[in-house]
Amino acid sequence: MAQERSVLITGCGIISAIGLDCSQVLESLLANRTGIAPLKYLRTEHTEFPVGEVKLTDEEMERIMGIEPGTPVTRTALMGMIALKEALADAKLDKNVLRQVGFVSGTTVGGMDKSERYYLDFIENDTRNEYIGTHDCGSCSEMIADSAGRFKSVTTISTACSSAANAIELGADMIRAGEADIVVAGGSECITKFHLNGFNSLMILDHNQCRPFDAERAGLNLGEGAAFVVLESRESALRRCVAPVALLSGYGNACDAFHQTASSPDGEGAYLAMSKALADAGLQPSDIDYINAHGTGTPNNDLSESQAMKRIFGSIVPPVSSTKSLTGHTTSASGAIETVICILALKNGFVPVNYGWEHPMEDGIVPNMDLHPNGALKNVLCNSFGFGGNDSSLVLTLADSVK
Amino acid sequence: MSSSSESIKILSAKQISIQKPLSEEWMDAPERYTDDFVRAVDPDFKQFISAGDARRMGRLLKRALATSLSALQEGGVMNPDAIITGTGFGSVENTELFLDAMVREGEHMLKPTQFMQSTHNTASSLIGIHTHCHGYNSTYSQKGLSFDSALYDAWLQFRLGKIGTALVGSHDEMSPVFAGFMRKAGHVREGEICSEAAVSVLLASGADAPALCTLEGVKLLNRPDETELKAAIADMLGGSMPDAVMTGMSGNADNDSRYSILGDILPGVALLRYKHLFGVNFSSSAIGFYAAAYCLAKGVIPAVLAVDGKARECSKGILLVNAVEGRHYSIIYLKPVCGKV
Repeated sequence: MAQERSVLITGCGIISAIGLDCSQVLESLLANRTGIAPLKYLRTEHTEFPVGEVKLTDEEMERIMGIEPGTPVTRTALMGMIALKEALADAKLDKNVLRQVGFVSGTTVGGMDKSERYYLDFIENDTRNEYIGTHDCGSCSEMIADSAGRFKSVTTISTACSSAANAIELGADMIRAGEADIVVAGGSECITKFHLNGFNSLMILDHNQCRPFDAERAGLNLGEGAAFVVLESRESALRRCVAPVALLSGYGNACDAFHQTASSPDGEGAYLAMSKALADAGLQPSDIDYINAHGTGTPNNDLSESQAMKRIFGSIVPPVSSTKSLTGHTTSASGAIETVICILALKNGFVPVNYGWEHPMEDGIVPNMDLHPNGALKNVLCNSFGFGGNDSSLVLTLADSVK
Repeated sequence: MSSSSESIKILSAKQISIQKPLSEEWMDAPERYTDDFVRAVDPDFKQFISAGDARRMGRLLKRALATSLSALQEGGVMNPDAIITGTGFGSVENTELFLDAMVREGEHMLKPTQFMQSTHNTASSLIGIHTHCHGYNSTYSQKGLSFDSALYDAWLQFRLGKIGTALVGSHDEMSPVFAGFMRKAGHVREGEICSEAAVSVLLASGADAPALCTLEGVKLLNRPDETELKAAIADMLGGSMPDAVMTGMSGNADNDSRYSILGDILPGVALLRYKHLFGVNFSSSAIGFYAAAYCLAKGVIPAVLAVDGKARECSKGILLVNAVEGRHYSIIYLKPVCGKV
C-alpha cells in the first residue's frame, strides 16, 4: 500500500556551505567537514557570528548561470537557479518538457538581501527601483523557475524554516492527486542582515560553532543554500526510462499551536508531524533507520524535539543527527537541503554525524557521532520545524528496497 | 488511495477591505474613492480579540484573526482540519519598522517582536494558536496568486481525502512606504487604487450545513499561451456555461487587455470586476472569490460588479479568472448549492 502511494524522486540538486553540488556535499559529509566559518560574504556589523555561507559571491554565481552583470537578481534566486539546474540534469529533464512540470519553492527572506542594501534608494531616489520587484518571495521563485524554462505552474510556500519541506509535500500531493506527473520542489534562502539581526534579537544565535543536542548548546548558526528534488509519478518515470534516486514514501505537516517562536515542552507539533509521516508511509517507528533532526542547536528546539522523538520511538531511538552543525541553519531551504542529505545517506549507506557534539543533555537524545560507513539504510525521517510551530516530517526510502 | 468526490462547499466568507468591514453592504451602496492609496476600514476588534492581545498584534494579524473567527463562527466550525493562508508581502508594518531601524540606526536595539511578526506565516500560526488547531497549516506568498495558491492546496487536501474542513484566507496590509514600492515595482498601476484586504473563507466537504456556493475546481497556470489558457478554461467548464466571469479588470488598460480573450471563449457571458471598488493588493483575488460566492448565495449579480453596469440573475455559476502581472493565471469555478446539473 505504502509503495503504491509513494512518490519517486528522480533527481536532486543542492548548493550549501559544504559544497556547490551533490558530489561536493557528499564528500564533505563523508569527511565530516563543517562549512561553518567566520563571516565573509554578508555585509554586517555582527562579524562575531560564525555562519554557513555558500562560498561564492553573487557575481561568481551570476557568471555560473550566464547572467549579464547588472541584471536585477537576488542571492536567494541565484542559489536556487544553480541547485535547480543540477536537479533537472540529474533527472534528465529537458527544457522542452517543463511545460508539463509544476514548480514549488519555499522562501521567507526572498529578496531581502537587496532590499536591505537599497532600501533608502527605494525611498529617496529612483536609482535601484528594478530591485523593488525582486523583494517579495514570489519573485524569487519566478526568477529561479524562469532560469530553467517555462514551467506549467509556479508557486511559493513561506512557512519560515519548514518552507521547503512543505513545498515538497505540496509537490507530492499534486502528483498523488493526478494534477501533475512531475513537480520540482524545494527551497532557497540566502543569509541576510535582516534575519541575522532578527535571530540575534531573539537571542538564539551561538557565538561559536553550534552544537545541536549538546548540554552546552547555545543557539544556532545561520546558513544559506538551496536544494530541489524532482518528484515524479511511477508511470512517468517508467515512460521516461529514469530510475529513482529515492522514494518519498510519506509526509506529514502539523501545527504545534503553542507559540510564535518557541516550541512546546512536549513537542506536540513535532510528534504529530512525525506520526502523520509514518502513518502516511505505512511504516512503524522501528522501520526508521536514521532521523535527520531539525536540531537547530537552540536550547528550546533540541529539548522539544528530543521529547517528541522519545514519545514516538520510546527507548529505542534510531541514530539521529542534525546536519545543521555542518551546513548552518539554512532556514527556508533547510527542508530541501536536508532531504538531499538524506538521499545521499540512503544512496551511499552512511549516517551523517552530529558535528561538534560532546555533552549529553538532560532528557535529550544522544546523537550519532560515528559515520557508520557501509551501513545499509532503508527508511529515514527528515524533520523541518518553523516559526509558529509549523512542523513537517518527510519519510525517504531507498529506491532499491522497493520492488 | 482515499479520495473524495463529495462536493466542496463554501460555508462562509468574510472580508475587511476599503469597503464596510464584515458586511455585504457594498453590493448596494459601495464606498467610492479617488485617492491612489486607501487603507482598509477596520471593524471594532474588541468582539474578537482582547485589548491586551490586540496591543501586541499588527493590523494584518488583527484583521486575519477577525475575518477568521467570524468565518468560523458563521460556518459553525471551531476547529478546522486545515488552516491555509496567502499573503504577498506579509506584515508590512513590522517588516518596515525593523528594516528602517536597521538601515538608518544600525544593527543594535532591534525589536524581536517586529522580526517575529514580519515572518509571512505569522497569521496562519496565530490562527492555529488561537483556535488550538494542530492540523495542516501552510502559507503561500506568490504576489497576486497567493490566495489562489492557498485555495489550490486546500482543494488538493480535500480531493486526497485528508481534510473535511479548511479555513483559507489571504491578508495583505500596506504602509505609505510600501504603497510607494507597489507602484515603483509595477504591482499597482495607473488607474488603480493601492489598497489593503483581509479575507477568510471556510470550506467543507460533504457538509449538510447551509453554504454560499460550491467549489468545482482550481487551476494555476504559469505563462500560458492563448491555446493553453483556452484549453484550461474549457476543461474547467466541462461544457457548462456560467452566468458570468469574475475578472481582475481594474481600469488599467494593460491589465484589462489580459481578459479580452474571455470574449472569444465565452461570447455573450457577462464580465464582472471588483478592483474598482476594492482596489489592488496582493490579496485582491480573495476579494473576487468572496464577491462571487456572495453573488451565488444571493442569486443576484449586483450592477456595481458588472462591467456593463447591469444587474442580473445568478443561478448557474461564476468562473473566476485571475491574471497576475501577465504571467500567472488562476481559474476557479464556483457553482450555486442548488440547481446543480
